Amino acid sequence: MRCKKLPALALLCSCVLALLPGCGPTYPKEDLKESIIKVCKKEYKLDVKVELAGKTVAIYCALQDLWDLTFAMTKKASEELNDVILSVSRVTLSTDASVEYYVVIAHDARLPEIQIIIVKRVEDVKRFMLNDISRGEFSKRMLIDKRINPQAKKEHDIKQVFEKMGLEKKWQDTVMDDFFRAQPAALGDIGYWNDRFYIKDIQLPEFLVEQIAGRVRMEFFENKNLAESVLVKSTKGNYINKDGKRYFEVSVLGEAKSVGSLRPDEISNMILSQTLKVAADVIHGYGFEDVDYIVIVDEANSKALKVTTADAEKFRKNRMSFDEIASQTEN
Amino acid sequence: MTAWLIFELLFYFILLLAATAVYLFNRRTRLYIKSRKIMLIIIFGSYVILRLAVWGLMSLESFYQKITLATMPIQLIMVALNATIFVLLYTMFLQGGMAKISKSRIKGELVDIKWSDVIGMDNVKEEAKEVVELIKDRARVKKIGGKILRGILMFGPPGCGKTYLAKAIATETGLPFLAMSGSEFVEVFVGVGASRVRKLFKQARELAAAHGGCIVFIDELDAIARKRVFSVFGGTEETNSTQNQLLAAMDGLSEVKDKKGELDTAQNVIVIGATNAPEENIDRALLRPGRFDRKLYIDRPGLEDREKLFAYYLGKVQRDPTIDVGKLARKAVYKTPADIENIVKEAALIATRSLRDVIRLDDISEAIERIDMGMKHKRTMTPKEREMTAWHETGHLVVLYLLHPTKDVFKASIIGRKSALGVVHENPREEWFTRNREMIIADIKTSLAGYVAEKLKFKTTSDGVDQDFKMAMSLAHNMVWRWGMNDVGLVGDYTLIPESQISENTKETLNKETNRIMGECLKDVEVLLKKEWPIAERFAKELLEKEELDYDDIEAIFNEYGKTHYEQHEV
Repeated sequence: MRCKKLPALALLCSCVLALLPGCGPTYPKEDLKESIIKVCKKEYKLDVKVELAGKTVAIYCALQDLWDLTFAMTKKASEELNDVILSVSRVTLSTDASVEYYVVIAHDARLPEIQIIIVKRVEDVKRFMLNDISRGEFSKRMLIDKRINPQAKKEHDIKQVFEKMGLEKKWQDTVMDDFFRAQPAALGDIGYWNDRFYIKDIQLPEFLVEQIAGRVRMEFFENKNLAESVLVKSTKGNYINKDGKRYFEVSVLGEAKSVGSLRPDEISNMILSQTLKVAADVIHGYGFEDVDYIVIVDEANSKALKVTTADAEKFRKNRMSFDEIASQTEN
Repeated sequence: MTAWLIFELLFYFILLLAATAVYLFNRRTRLYIKSRKIMLIIIFGSYVILRLAVWGLMSLESFYQKITLATMPIQLIMVALNATIFVLLYTMFLQGGMAKISKSRIKGELVDIKWSDVIGMDNVKEEAKEVVELIKDRARVKKIGGKILRGILMFGPPGCGKTYLAKAIATETGLPFLAMSGSEFVEVFVGVGASRVRKLFKQARELAAAHGGCIVFIDELDAIARKRVFSVFGGTEETNSTQNQLLAAMDGLSEVKDKKGELDTAQNVIVIGATNAPEENIDRALLRPGRFDRKLYIDRPGLEDREKLFAYYLGKVQRDPTIDVGKLARKAVYKTPADIENIVKEAALIATRSLRDVIRLDDISEAIERIDMGMKHKRTMTPKEREMTAWHETGHLVVLYLLHPTKDVFKASIIGRKSALGVVHENPREEWFTRNREMIIADIKTSLAGYVAEKLKFKTTSDGVDQDFKMAMSLAHNMVWRWGMNDVGLVGDYTLIPESQISENTKETLNKETNRIMGECLKDVEVLLKKEWPIAERFAKELLEKEELDYDDIEAIFNEYGKTHYEQHEV
């Protein structure tokens, strides 16, 4: 080797030496749970519990004064919850573990039955960080639910039965464990009760259909025109894969806000078309292809709309009107 | 991570040790570092910034590291774009600093012009060889108390091989060769020339320290070396300060010894200057010993050298093997090596245009004619004017052939070239570095012959004699006033004496003598032409018919009339 090349080689070695330690994940998959606990504790002084179910990671935290007297979230609790979400986001983004979703379960230490469940897809967080999606879209993509813990409700009911049956206390827990404590089958059953996580490995289709249901609810609440005409009481989403058919089923229960302002069929069309639009947007936004059609049910008027994903996409692009879609369903 | 940091620190420590050892024990490395310290500081600074950036990056979580790295290419492109714009604007408006010099550093061995490539000029070559030996063996010269060369100044007409010889010196010494033209130091901004001189010598010293010596070649030295002007108002010309800096820089090349008492090789810088200007135009301060110690006068090549040059350049092209280089060398009197190279190149172009693969003798003749007389361009003349031109040129031709002791007629033509309607192209038979009275008289008679021929034939004359008279009068005047070639006993250069200090009588005597010479020459020419009138008529006729007559045609006609060169005639 010529001497003239030695300085260049030394410089190259120095650069390699300088750069190499920077390689590799910050939070290795082996220490994922510990990492989340450590970050929350070290940086935000929060005690959390973490559990993994497949590619879903669940974080539980009991917060002081989560709710005020009106059952709205307090500012302090909101900040603490955000800290937990930020911690888990940081860890899940900088790990080599295969994490697709994270679920944050929080409740007021005084009221453990009422829980707030936040579900986020890690890919959405990543896209938001890279400015690939807007803040508004990002907030629509997470699932937030405030509910009475289904497991708590179930156990409460069963305990009443046990009391009526006169089952001894020492057997109650055993029977409960053996027959009534199982991992949830649906997203709606996720929670934390009696030092136990009730979580599942979330799949994209169920996440999407839940998101559609949530978005429809939010749309009828936030959109002034819709909110003035229709009151949506509840929405329900379900992904069905049966007999080789894969479809989203979204049920909406809504009614006219004031009597006589709109005819029932007009209300129904409004609910169906708006739900179809939201569903088409979500499917397009995720580039989701494992669904053949969408079934939208207007429970109040007992009307249903079955639309193929291709037609839903045309509707989204305004290449097909709602009337055309509705007439196809009738035929 | 800690182990890695220890490993990295250990690496830097070893690197530092190695660099220090090399710096201390290797002189070339020391010089390399000194000469490129700015660059090295920039590299080191860049590396520190890079290391700090990596340090900062390492403190980020891997996702943010990836984001930073992912956006880095576009950031680098933006930085590069900004830098490019900055550099463009900087060079556009400030040209990288006024003192920037575009000097070409060439290693001696890369010039690759050896002594064998320098044709002719044997005397100068011998001197140059001696110079090379002195440069190469500087220590030995010093040991025996000899004087170290500082500079060599090469004089001579353009195209005689001064630059070529300088390159040969660089090749033979094997030293780095910095070449600049004197005009590169000249700038409208005050101080720029001097600054460039300083930079040039600084680099030369650095190269000399690394390679044991360095040659600085300054072509067209007269641009900065002409005699300085000192104004009574205190101001000086910009070239003065440039020259002062050159003087100071050359003085700075004096003997310097290092701590061990050995000669400092950084001072082994030899300056070679080349100029077409006469020695007397160069400032005396530059010519004194210790600056340009050696002066080499490189003159036009002699007959033998011209033969060698023709053989050399014709050897590079396809040519008719029957071409006699000796004859060509005799034809090309006073031609420089550059002229000869140009003649061969022009001949090759003529042969190519004539769709021939080899150069013939007539191609070379035409090339010489084109170079000397310019391209032909036909003018439409009235028959009368054409006839007058033919007779005018006939006069020159006949007198030149029959009376001139040193010149031959190369060609006679009534085809226009440049502004002339016709021309008699003369060629010296051999090199003369001085002219005697007879030669000058013959030149005057040749110049007057056109006028006499017109007068004898047409009983009138034209203004086509303008240049001829200027030449004749100037020669006659100089003969009498400057060169003492008069019969009135007034010997000396009277042009040196202010006119007011010469008596009217002396002036009148000198002027009368000038007129006498002119009158006698005129009379001689008239006598000759009247005597050789049939020959003159024949030449005029031939010129009108053929428009051009070559040397061979002319000689054949003279021979036909039993005439040969001047030797048989009384001048």
